[in-house]
Amino acid sequence: MNRRRIVLLLTLTLLLALVLSACAAPAAESPEQEAPKEEATTAPAAPAQEEKPAEPEAKEGPVTITFWHAMSGSRGEVVQDLVDTFNEKFPQYKVEAEYTGSYAETLTKALAAYKAGEAPIIVQVYEVGTQTMLDSDAIIPVYTMNQGEVDWAEVVEPIRKYYSIDGNLYCMPFNSSTAMLYYNKDMFEKAGLDPDKPPTTWAEVEEYSKKIMEAGAAEGGFSMGWPAWILEQMFAWHNQLYANNDNGRSGLATEIYVNSDFGKMVLGEWQRMAEEGVLVYGGRKYKANDPFLGQQFPFLFQSTSSLGGILKKAEFKVGTTFLPRFEGDYEKGNSVVGGGCLWVMDTATPEQQEAAWEFLKYTFSPERAVLWHKGTGYFPTSNTAYEMLKEEGWFEKEPNFATAFNQILSGNDTPASQGVLLGPFVRIRDVMGTAIEEAVVNGADVAKTLDNAANEANQLLAEYKQLYGD
Amino acid sequence: MQTRFPEKTLPYLLLAPSIIIVLIFFVVPSVQSLYLSFYRVSALGNKKIFIGLENFTRLLTDPSYLNSIITSFEFAIFVVFVGLAASMAVAVVANQRLRGFGVYRTLLIWPYALSPAIAGLIWAQMMDPSIGLASHLLEILFGIRFNYQTNGQQALLFISVAAAWKMLGYNIIFFLAGLQSLPTELLEAAAIDGAGAWRRFWKITFPLLSPTTFFLFIMNTLYAFFQVFGLVHITTEGGPGRATDLMVYKLYRDGFEGLNTGYASAQSIVLLIMVAALTILQFRYAGSRVHYQ
Repeated sequence: MNRRRIVLLLTLTLLLALVLSACAAPAAESPEQEAPKEEATTAPAAPAQEEKPAEPEAKEGPVTITFWHAMSGSRGEVVQDLVDTFNEKFPQYKVEAEYTGSYAETLTKALAAYKAGEAPIIVQVYEVGTQTMLDSDAIIPVYTMNQGEVDWAEVVEPIRKYYSIDGNLYCMPFNSSTAMLYYNKDMFEKAGLDPDKPPTTWAEVEEYSKKIMEAGAAEGGFSMGWPAWILEQMFAWHNQLYANNDNGRSGLATEIYVNSDFGKMVLGEWQRMAEEGVLVYGGRKYKANDPFLGQQFPFLFQSTSSLGGILKKAEFKVGTTFLPRFEGDYEKGNSVVGGGCLWVMDTATPEQQEAAWEFLKYTFSPERAVLWHKGTGYFPTSNTAYEMLKEEGWFEKEPNFATAFNQILSGNDTPASQGVLLGPFVRIRDVMGTAIEEAVVNGADVAKTLDNAANEANQLLAEYKQLYGD
Repeated sequence: MQTRFPEKTLPYLLLAPSIIIVLIFFVVPSVQSLYLSFYRVSALGNKKIFIGLENFTRLLTDPSYLNSIITSFEFAIFVVFVGLAASMAVAVVANQRLRGFGVYRTLLIWPYALSPAIAGLIWAQMMDPSIGLASHLLEILFGIRFNYQTNGQQALLFISVAAAWKMLGYNIIFFLAGLQSLPTELLEAAAIDGAGAWRRFWKITFPLLSPTTFFLFIMNTLYAFFQVFGLVHITTEGGPGRATDLMVYKLYRDGFEGLNTGYASAQSIVLLIMVAALTILQFRYAGSRVHYQ
C-alpha cells in the first residue's frame, strides 16, 4: 500500500537527519557553553560603550579584551573577583572573563577561535599546552611586552623556568601548582601513628596504609588525582628524564622514556599495590578528592590547587607533606610545576595589547598574588608576595599552604626537574593516563603496556616533528 | 502519486531548503573531512602536509583503534538486541487495555526526551561507586560490587544499559504504533482456533510487526554508533583504560582534544563507510524477510 511506502520514505529521511546530527554532535556536546555571561560588568564605563557601538572612535569607551579561562567552582569565583577589581581600578580597560570549560577544552576552543578569526586576547593554557602555544605562531611572548616594568627575577624560579625558552619568558605564570601528598590525620591517630610524622618514602606510604587498613580506619590506602601527571612528577622527583633532548627543552622531543626501567618499576609498584587494595584507583583529574574527603583512604596525591577546597570540606584534620621517594639509588630532582599560564594572542590590536599587559601586570602584583594564593592554594607566583605571606605569619598559621612551596624550593634544578615539553602533550598525557588505567585497573602487563604507550607517544612525536621540525 | 506540477521550477524551489541544509551540514563537511584525511594538519590548521593514505594505514595498525572497533560492536549489539527486545516486551504489555494506560504510555516515552548528557548524569549519579543509590542496592541485595570507574567490563555494561534505556522511549512509541495498527481479526481468529498468547505473539504479532522492528533495528544501530558521545563523555570518558573507548569517542579525543584533525577525519570516514555498509547489509538480508502488508 502507498501508506507503507510513505512510511519508508519518512524513515529514510529520519535516518539521514540522524546521521547529520550525529556528525555535528562531538563539536556541540562540550559541557554547557552558557557559563553565566557574568552580569558582573561593574566597570563604571561599561554602559557608555554599549550605547555607542556604531561610533568608530573607540577612545571614549574602554578598550575591551576577552579572557578565556578554565577555572571553575571556587577558583572561578576568585578569577571573577580579580577581573572585577581590575575593571574598577582601570576604567579605561575592560576585561571580559569567560569560563570556557576544562583546560583541554579551553585550549581547543582558543585554537579553533583563532582559526575562525575570533580568538580571545588572553587565554589561560595549562602546562601541557605550552609547546603547542610556542609553536603556534599565534602568540605575543610576554617578554617582548615588558618595557622594564616587571623584573622577571621576581617570578619564583621553578615557575619562571618552566615557561621560559632560552631564558625568555613566553607567558605570564598565573596559577601554578605542583603535586603533594595529602593525608588524614584522624586516621593516623586511630591507627596509633604519629600524625606529625607523615611518610617520606613509598614503602612508608604502603606500610602506614596497611596499618590504617588493619586498624579498620579505612578501606584502602591511597589514591591519585591526575595519575599521568603524578607519574611525570615521579620522573622529575627522582631526576629521571621523561623525554629526550633534555625533556624537549634543547630541541623538540622525539622519544619518551616512560618505558625505562624506572617507569616500569613505578608502574609495577602501583600495580602491585592496587592488587593488594592499597592503591584505590580514583579516576582522573579531581575525581579522587571526593572519596578522600569521604574518608575511604588516608592518602591522596593531588595538586596543591585542591588545598583550599579540601580544607574547606574535610571533616577531619588534613595534613600535607612532600611527595614520597622510591627506595634505590636515585638522585633528587624536583617536583614539577603545573597549572596555567596566561598567553597573549597576536590578534590583539596595539591598544588591546596595552590593556592585556596592564592586566597581566595586575595579576602579578604582590597584593593580588597573595589573595590568589589564599583563595585557591596555588603558588604565589612572585617572590615579594611570598615574603609578604611569610611576614604576615600565614605559613605558620596555615602550614599546609607552605608544604608545596617548600617542596619546590627544596629540589635540585636539573634538566629532568624543569618539566617536560612535548608537542602533542595533550594526547600523550591521555595515552599515559590510559596506560596507567590498563595496568592498575585492568591488570595488564606493565612492561608491555608501557612499551605500547611509548610507541604510540613516539609516533605522535614523530608526526609533530614532521609538521614543526626545523 | 501521479500528480504533476504544472511548472518545472516549483518542485525545485520546494526542495531547495532541504537540499541546502543537506549541502551545508552534510555534503560540504564530509568532503572537507575526506580532504583532510589525506593530510597531517597542525593544531591551528596553518601547516599541512600531504601524506596520502598514511592516516588510514595507521588506523588499521593502531591497536587502540582496533580496540575501539571491537568495543563499538559489542556496545552496538547490546544496545540493538537487548534494547529492542526490552522495548518490544514493554510495548506489548503497555498495549493492553489497562486502567490508566495513557499515563503509563506517556511515562514510558520520557527517557527519549532527555538529552544524552542529562541521561548520563542520571546514570552516573545512580551508579556512582561511592554515593550511588543503585550501586548500593546492588551490593546489599546481590552482593555485587559495581564500580564502573575501575572495572572495565562493568563500565561497558553500564554505558550499554544506559544507552539502551535512553532509546527505550523512542522504540516503544514505534512499537506501540505498530501494535495498534495490527489487524485484530487475525489475532481473534487465532484465539478462537485455540492458539495461546505466546503462540499468537510469535506466529502473528511478531511477523506483522517486522516493518517496525526492521526500521528500529536500523535506527538503533545508527544511534549506537553515532549518538552516544554525550553519554560516554559525561560518564566514563572512554575509560577505565580503553574499556569504553567507542569509535565516536576516540574520534573526539584524537580530533578535539589531541587536535589531530587529519587522523580524526580519517576515522570519521571509516566510521561513515562502516555504518553505511552495515545499513546496506541490513537492508539486503534482514530487509528481505520483512513482511509488509
